[in-house]
Amino acid sequence: MTSEDAAAAPLQSFDGTIWSAVDKALSGISAQPERGVQDVIVHIPRDEVIRGLRALKTNADMAFDYLRCLTCVDNEGDGMDVVYMLYSTTKGHNLTVKAHLDANDLHLDTATTVWRAANWYEREVMEMFGVRFRNHPDPRTLLMPEDLTDTFPLRKDHPLAEIEVLQGEGIAWATEESV
Amino acid sequence: MTSMAPEQEFETQDLMINMGPQHPATHGVFRMVLQVDGEVVRDVVSHIGYMHRGGEKLSETMDFRQGIGFMDRTEYLAQFNAELSYVMAVEKLMDIEVPERSQWIRMILCELNRLSSHFMFTGAFGTDVGVFGTGFTYAFRERENILDLFEEITGDRLMYAYFRPGGLAWEVTDNFVARVREVLNVSKQGIKDMDGLLTENEIFKARTQGIGVISAADAIDWGSTGPVLRASGVPLDLRRTEPYLKYAEVDFDVPVGKVGDVYDRWLVRIEEMRQSVRIIEQCLTKLQPGPILPERMPRMLRTPPGEVYLRTEAPRGEYGIYMVSKGGNRPHRLKIRSACFANLQALRDMTIGSYVADAVVILGSLDIVLCEVDR
Repeated sequence: MTSEDAAAAPLQSFDGTIWSAVDKALSGISAQPERGVQDVIVHIPRDEVIRGLRALKTNADMAFDYLRCLTCVDNEGDGMDVVYMLYSTTKGHNLTVKAHLDANDLHLDTATTVWRAANWYEREVMEMFGVRFRNHPDPRTLLMPEDLTDTFPLRKDHPLAEIEVLQGEGIAWATEESV
Repeated sequence: MTSMAPEQEFETQDLMINMGPQHPATHGVFRMVLQVDGEVVRDVVSHIGYMHRGGEKLSETMDFRQGIGFMDRTEYLAQFNAELSYVMAVEKLMDIEVPERSQWIRMILCELNRLSSHFMFTGAFGTDVGVFGTGFTYAFRERENILDLFEEITGDRLMYAYFRPGGLAWEVTDNFVARVREVLNVSKQGIKDMDGLLTENEIFKARTQGIGVISAADAIDWGSTGPVLRASGVPLDLRRTEPYLKYAEVDFDVPVGKVGDVYDRWLVRIEEMRQSVRIIEQCLTKLQPGPILPERMPRMLRTPPGEVYLRTEAPRGEYGIYMVSKGGNRPHRLKIRSACFANLQALRDMTIGSYVADAVVILGSLDIVLCEVDR
């Protein structure tokens, strides 16, 4: 029941090597690399990201068959980044892919067509950041109440807490100082 | 015997059954809506979020030491493992070298935590299958034994907040090594007891074998990790594939299953407990006196701008922390990648086609912690 060689020797001996292979796999897609603290980060334009991800999954040298995580980062005024952490179970290497979204145009295609695992992660990003994933098979809220679809808690401009004013009308938003 | 008349074709209607959120077999507040045709489950819709406390938003307001405490509250059965990912993410961003002694102690505590968490699983899973009482109380006795040790070291039974960026909060007790050996001896017997009680039990096998099967390819596609993935035959263990702490310096095996059913998940976890004991015994021989924190630790932790996705192998699988820092003393964004979250996604695939009574067993075999799923 045991296995010694859990994964093949990682292709990524240092950051330079995996990028050249990624670049080859992403031919025809304008990708920009960045050296991350741990994994290589590849920036792919919003319109090409799904094509790029599929290429990374199907390419025999890359074989990113595993989506570790999918999330989003609000860059405060500079739009948002949707982040994909990829892993290859056969090759044993890691890669981070980022797609930049403008603040006034928050949508991109769903990654559920590449990995089914993206389903819940995307639902969470949708309700928390207000990013719309086109053609998502199940775009309901996940963690938030079903009717809370007009406010996005993990955005930076969303206050940390709300305080309900019992007397009077409506809900007053607490400022950062008052909390 | 008279021959039976050909059975008349009746029109049947699928029935929707709501299970949870308050249900003893859902291991917390989890709701699943089962669409059943007679006894067979046709569809499952999972509803999570009942324990959502906005932990990621909250973590953005807490500095790097305050955030440790919240990690305990996400994964309340494997707190040390959760803290480990967080403090290691901060260490990676700040480029801090952790002293040897702290690394060994962290390893011992994480593996002990894996033991206590898997004991919890063996007990609770027994209850799901129908072994009421006996297994549960045995397992809790073993778990309590380990928690006593944790309490001696950290001062708390469950919410430890003991790891710090750079090392540990304070030195362990003087009799630490002797106490760990004492606990291990009891735990070894406990593993034997739980193994002997259920593994070869005919009823237990009949209840668990061949149900909730998920193939290796499906498990990978759904992003499953931990025992659920390994039971499907994929030998992925971050301690082996991307060794952190001192895992490269100890011998241990990565157990994998053959079929990928509920019974295999049980076997994998039982074997993992034995391997944990093996790892801890090696750690104890290598533990040397020394400092537990680097010499120069700043009073206020500030990281340079950067981002890291740090993952470790928690008892339920990959516990990842994605931390983005724009400089300063708190994360700009903190994402907790929960192992159960991904494992729970695959529940629908596993359950469709099985009997209603097995749905509970399949859910139990995932060993979910809802606080970790919802964060």
